[in-house]
Amino acid sequence: MSVHASWYLVLAAVLFSIGAVGLLVRRNVLVMFMCIELMLNAANLTFVTFSRALNDIGGQVAVFFVLVVAAAEVVVGLGIIVAIYRRRVGATADDAHILKG
Amino acid sequence: MGSLDSYLPILFLFVLAFGFTAFSLAASKLLAPQRPTAAKEAPYECGIVPSHEPPQRFPVRFYLVSMIFVIFDIEVIFLFPWAVVYGQLGRFGLVEIIVFAAAVFFSFVYLVSNGALDWGPLKRVQRVVRPIGGRTSQSTVRRIGSSSDEAA
Amino acid sequence: MSPLAALLSPAHLLAANGLVLPHVNYTAIMPELILLGGMLLLLGISAVSPRHLPTQVYATATAGIGIASLIASLVLWHDVQKGGPFSAVARAVDIDGFATLVLVLCSCVVILGAFFAAGFLEREQVQGVEYYALALISASGAMLMGSANDLILVFLGLEILSIPLYVMAGLDQRRAASGEAAMKYFLLGAFSSAVFVYGIALTYGATGSTNLASIGSFLAQNVVVSNGVLLGGLALLLVGFGFKVAAVPFHMWTPDVYAGSPTPAVGFMAAVAKIGAFGALLRVLFSTFPTLRTSWQPILWALAILTLLLGALVAVVQRDVKRMLAYSSINHAGFILLGVQAGTSRGAEASLYYLFVYSVLVLGTFGVVAVVGGRGDEGHGIERYRGLAHRRPLLAGSMAVLLLAQAGAPFTTGFFSKLYVIEASIAAHSYALATVAMLSAAIATFFYLRLVFAMFGERAGRQASVAVPVAPAGAGAPGGAAGQFPPVGTLPAGPAVASAAGVLTLERAAGLVDPGRAEAAAVADDDAGPVVADADLQVSPWVWVGLALCVGTTVVLGIWPSPLVDFARHATLLF
Repeated sequence: MSVHASWYLVLAAVLFSIGAVGLLVRRNVLVMFMCIELMLNAANLTFVTFSRALNDIGGQVAVFFVLVVAAAEVVVGLGIIVAIYRRRVGATADDAHILKG
Repeated sequence: MGSLDSYLPILFLFVLAFGFTAFSLAASKLLAPQRPTAAKEAPYECGIVPSHEPPQRFPVRFYLVSMIFVIFDIEVIFLFPWAVVYGQLGRFGLVEIIVFAAAVFFSFVYLVSNGALDWGPLKRVQRVVRPIGGRTSQSTVRRIGSSSDEAA
Repeated sequence: MSPLAALLSPAHLLAANGLVLPHVNYTAIMPELILLGGMLLLLGISAVSPRHLPTQVYATATAGIGIASLIASLVLWHDVQKGGPFSAVARAVDIDGFATLVLVLCSCVVILGAFFAAGFLEREQVQGVEYYALALISASGAMLMGSANDLILVFLGLEILSIPLYVMAGLDQRRAASGEAAMKYFLLGAFSSAVFVYGIALTYGATGSTNLASIGSFLAQNVVVSNGVLLGGLALLLVGFGFKVAAVPFHMWTPDVYAGSPTPAVGFMAAVAKIGAFGALLRVLFSTFPTLRTSWQPILWALAILTLLLGALVAVVQRDVKRMLAYSSINHAGFILLGVQAGTSRGAEASLYYLFVYSVLVLGTFGVVAVVGGRGDEGHGIERYRGLAHRRPLLAGSMAVLLLAQAGAPFTTGFFSKLYVIEASIAAHSYALATVAMLSAAIATFFYLRLVFAMFGERAGRQASVAVPVAPAGAGAPGGAAGQFPPVGTLPAGPAVASAAGVLTLERAAGLVDPGRAEAAAVADDDAGPVVADADLQVSPWVWVGLALCVGTTVVLGIWPSPLVDFARHATLLF
């Protein structure tokens, strides 16, 4: 039973959609944060799949950069979240209500 | 289905792990004598009875250190491929990695000098002189005197 | 084979039987190197200095670094004019007239931003190097976006640009709004970059490369089989760019982030993010996807119309000046999109010119807003501006010039910028779009004039008071002797360094590492009453210098526009 490349692409698309929908639906900042990670990793999976299918290493190199950027985003994002919610009880996006919109 | 055969040991391991856990829990439930007393139900069997829940949050300092760790951990991503072909890269590779390491090192110096890695009680490397604007003796005296709800 | 891979993947080189080392042309990436190297130097100086240096020292150093990178950019400009455009660093970086103009523009923004930041940080008594370091990283990211010839490099530039901006938005921890702004900006920004990188992945899959030139030639020669994948990738890329430039369906973050962030950071953010994102957008659409013009032009057409109209209409009902300017910046983004949508080199030229003009205007305007906001950065209601001309005539006069230029008044650069984009749009037969643009310019005039009338209208508040001007000792600092930090290694380290500085800044601002700040904040809260004190309106000499530069550029180049126009034309000539 061979697994065709398109399966991975579909899986990546599904993961990406789950991340995107989760980001828009969920209200917990940390969960929203995880959804972003899910989206980035879906992109990574797509990169690797195409890299394999095209027999080109470029896609795998791209994954390196995406990983590093994701880590940098995690650090800054968690820093912002902790800095805000030190004075609050829970971490919900709806608590941030000083700015309308 | 031939390619899936190699996954059979993993499946077996899963079954084994679940089976062992289930067996252990069931056996302890069935075999052990159960005579609960108030003392045994308490969170701590000896010592002072806790008057309140232990603090839920742990110091943010841990978080800070772990975040710094994540940064430097990720830098290793670039070091591994470099190390694999270090010999062939020659001077070019050496120069590039030194530049890379210098960039990271400078930020590390910045972190250390700002006390990000100081454990224990707060001890700053830099003595910060902060002029506090608009603070006169009058305002300070009024502030302390008028705030009656503030337990001094 | 993607050139970036050739450059940075030793593992592949091994597999390819013998190493081909890329030639790194350091002069081609010198402006970025100067900014990053200067930033590292500043961080190092702040780390080893026994006590906190005054903010003026850092501002001087930042301006010096900006001038050094400006000189390096102009040298590159000269090279390009003489010897034509060239690719460098294994074709990952493209140095042409367009790229060098973006480099020049970013350097100018760094210099101006340093002046306005110095005045603000001095008043708020915020010490530390963080603001300047973040600004330098962010500007280098924008430069990278403008000169990138590889989608991965565009993505890296986008992140190096954005991550420091998230932190800058949350820098002012005395106000809860600042933290919220940072969080909103971060969540939506990270979302948009995830969308963007997925778009890159799909484009890569459809064309087999991430190099902009390679994709372009591939598309010109082949009929793409998986057209859906390619179009999906292009659409996702457009969504990512749309978020960054605040085009309308993706603009939700703009008013909140602008209202919450520290005011000089807003000016910087608006300028540098628009330069970077529009620079990359123009390059990607014009040099990579010209064959898909029929696909992206209608999308941009719709985006531009929505952006123009919503920006102008919603700005009219705002009472908070920062929110009003946020919607006005959305409106400006619509104008720049006009030039992009035209899809001609004339359109690109008009967009570049508009970017230049807009950056100067927005920096200056937010510089004045920061001054009027007063200590604590809270007073941004329009009532603060009532009668400002009677109290601070020079300040109000500068603000009036900048606002009128934004409205497109004649004899300012703003007039020509609007003229050129509309002209380019008409030349590309987008008559409806040009009409909507003119309509929205008319609407926008209303809210700019309202602010001007408020300033020059009735006398309100107290009489002119004894505002003691702050006289900082403009301490000399080592300028731009920072160019010696070479290259590619710093590029991937960029986001990491940004986040290292960022996380610590946030922690310290929140009083975790350094409780002194929290104490100062508490005292400041006590003292900052609702009284609008005129003594608050101290204008630091730093701000005066910045304002003089902004207003001077606006008026002089407005009366004598040919140098800047020629600059933009030459930039796109070789595009």
